[in-house]
Amino acid sequence: MNHVSIWMTALAGLMAAIVGGTLPVRSRVGAAVLLTWVSCSAALVAVVSVLHSGHAIAMSTTKILPFTGISLELTPLGAVFVLAIVVVALASTLYWLGYASHGLSTRCASSALPLFVTSMILVPFAASVATFLVLWELMALASLVLVLTDQSRREAARSAAQWYAVMTHAGAAAILLALILLSAHAGGQTFAQIEAHSHHLSGALRGTIFVLALLGFASKAGAVPLHVWLPKAHAEAPGPASALMSGAMVNLGIYGIILVGNVLLGGGPVWWWLLVSALGVLSALYGALYAATTSDLKRLLAYSTADNMGLVLIALGTAGMFAASGSHVTAAIAMVAALLLMFNHSLFKGALFLAAGAVQIATGTRDLDRLGGLLRRMPVTGVVFLIGALSVAALPPLNGFVGEWLLLQSLLHALPSANTAVVITVAVAVAALALTGGLTVAAFVKAMGIGFLGRPRSEEASKAHEVPATMQLGAGLLAISCLALGLVPMLILPALMRGARSARPVGPVAAVHGWISLHLFGFHGVLAPSLLAGGLVVALAATVLARRVSHRRSSPWPALTPAEPWGSGRRTQTARMQYTATSFAEPLQRVFDDVIRPARDLDVSPAAESHYYVERIAYQTSSDDVIERVIYQPLIAAVRRWGGLARKLQNGSVHRYLAFGLLALVIVLVVLA
Amino acid sequence: MNNATYSSLLELAAGLVILCAFVTLWRRSLSAIVRALCVQGVALGLVALVLGLHRRDVVLITVGCLVIAAKGAVIPTLLRRVLANDSLNRETSPLVNVPASLVGAGALTFLAYGATRSVVALVPTSAGRLIPLGLATLLIGFFSMVIRRKAASQIVGLLLVDNGIALVAFLATAGVPLLVELGASLDVLLVVVVLRVLAVQLWSKFAVLDLDQLQELHD
Repeated sequence: MNHVSIWMTALAGLMAAIVGGTLPVRSRVGAAVLLTWVSCSAALVAVVSVLHSGHAIAMSTTKILPFTGISLELTPLGAVFVLAIVVVALASTLYWLGYASHGLSTRCASSALPLFVTSMILVPFAASVATFLVLWELMALASLVLVLTDQSRREAARSAAQWYAVMTHAGAAAILLALILLSAHAGGQTFAQIEAHSHHLSGALRGTIFVLALLGFASKAGAVPLHVWLPKAHAEAPGPASALMSGAMVNLGIYGIILVGNVLLGGGPVWWWLLVSALGVLSALYGALYAATTSDLKRLLAYSTADNMGLVLIALGTAGMFAASGSHVTAAIAMVAALLLMFNHSLFKGALFLAAGAVQIATGTRDLDRLGGLLRRMPVTGVVFLIGALSVAALPPLNGFVGEWLLLQSLLHALPSANTAVVITVAVAVAALALTGGLTVAAFVKAMGIGFLGRPRSEEASKAHEVPATMQLGAGLLAISCLALGLVPMLILPALMRGARSARPVGPVAAVHGWISLHLFGFHGVLAPSLLAGGLVVALAATVLARRVSHRRSSPWPALTPAEPWGSGRRTQTARMQYTATSFAEPLQRVFDDVIRPARDLDVSPAAESHYYVERIAYQTSSDDVIERVIYQPLIAAVRRWGGLARKLQNGSVHRYLAFGLLALVIVLVVLA
Repeated sequence: MNNATYSSLLELAAGLVILCAFVTLWRRSLSAIVRALCVQGVALGLVALVLGLHRRDVVLITVGCLVIAAKGAVIPTLLRRVLANDSLNRETSPLVNVPASLVGAGALTFLAYGATRSVVALVPTSAGRLIPLGLATLLIGFFSMVIRRKAASQIVGLLLVDNGIALVAFLATAGVPLLVELGASLDVLLVVVVLRVLAVQLWSKFAVLDLDQLQELHD
């Protein structure tokens, strides 16, 4: 039965890719989506069986991949990640049904999307180095194709795909090196063999392997400073693909770090996890800062992904540090927090990217400065975005809040720990968490307020219409799950605890318990999300009621003439006079001027008659990624110089090329002789 | 055929192959080069034929006949048609002059003998001793592609390379499977056709068959 579910997952996914690439355009997307759902349901069966029993299911065959064979195994840890991917995949493929007519129904795209989903689902199944690498690469290539689908219309998609291709392959090279080192020294390429032998390796080798794997996987997770591809590729990918990339694919970077660090190497010294936490703090702050200052809706979401992955990395690093210094109870809580943050991020970021895709379709732009007033024109999409925004800002009663609460609890309960480095890191992490939280709220107040409230700032925004029902349903599904998990986190927490236990063999079974109110295991810490939500609703209702009652009493002031709010006495105001995303972010940009160093360009052209009369003011600000500018551009320039040197060898003469060939042949012969 | 006749016939044919390779470097007139190539093709076929007769292998004899037909008749005819386009039927200014190129070819032959010592040790037969000649022909073909300017000379160089490979294959193994041999020969025929088309195009664009003109295409 279990084998059947694994086979079904792979075969149905493959069939979906084939069907998507061959059927005529009318039936192609529908058939591909249907088969993808079959694949997802089969995976779901496997996940439920693993999480219910707590035992892994496995299968292997030598018939598919020569020399090494395929071996697949679903552990409870993998099942948690598969679950997150399947949920996002179900919603995004449903959404795809409506989105397809906007350039996502070509053979190439309808074949690549199911392939992408299936390879992502199967990555956590992989139980040997060869299987893992094949699936990992398949996932990267399928997503690369999806980033390129819009390339004929958008120049930026091509450059984004280039960045993505280079970064993902550099990361894959690091991962390849780490896994090959590991399997060469552990004497086998299946994960079971490696796990059994890895503790015999020397400390330096284990450290090298971990750092290499961390670099590779962190670049997939979008950790700063390896994040540069993220705001480009996630922004340029079409709606469902960007939701899958940002909601599901980045998780696999986290999975990889847990897999190598905790499972294959069986945990490590404190400095590994300090490194992970440091990456996390950097990503969280940097991502949140750029999310707050950018005015491109999807770029904002992508930077927020880097921010959220930073939080997950902080939790992961904390868990590792606690485990290394012997406090297993706190380690378990931090691990569960990491998985919960990851899971929540999948839900709300999926919803947000699907909503952003809907906005892009309805208005043709992602620039917040040209949007506005969309909540009235696209009510469902607007509400989905609102729920997602509240969730990402970690406000109760949504799921983001529970995750961050758990993370803070694990950090705060660690303070009396012995190790000085741990204490300092934890203190820094708490401070970073606070700053990140504030910046994230600012970013999403901007996205919601400028994009969906107010008046439309452009013709396109004023003509926006709600998207088809399938798209609303797909995005709505994720938003509803955000709400449900926010109210009753125990729906998912037992599964996450099972997963966390298989990632860290030592430690207690439970980190939290209690259905209505969450209790931390072994510490004093209580949270009752549903009661909190109830309280919030009651308070809100009371405020509204009180206002109504007070308004009904006769007002002490005389009747006022209605005027435009914030009009400064002007009679006529245009929508362009509203607060924009750029102006909203301007104060923040000023505060963090030394970090961002934006290029500002103020161009005042006075009237011909007098300098005192200004005819036109043009203000331009561009805050391109400072890490890209400082680290990557010089690197690219250096590579280009090297390329220039190689170019000098090529003058277009056929004889010269032939001579090179002959010379190489002669040298080989001389060396061999 | 007794053993002594067999080995001297084999040596004669293989020697003819390498001699023709030297002739293509020595002569400047393209029609003379094509004639040398034609002789070389026949000699190569003879090698296969002698081997086949010695081993009483019908397939190898068939291959030998086919090689003589293809390399002695079909390909030279095709080449002569290319040459008919070019008014100046001489390799006027090779990149390396004739004496120097002959010295280079000699050096390459030495290299071939040096490089194949271990292979020769593996095949201790009268055929095996001749393997270096095949490699030498290959290297000389490559060399002539580097130093000659005309498109036709390039084709000749490529054919020399192919003949060298075929010679090694005949001598080192007990006969390549017919299918492989036919495939390789067809490949070369196709390359000749492609190069002929290229030469015609080059002629119609630049009115010369000088490959250096292609440098114009460099950005």
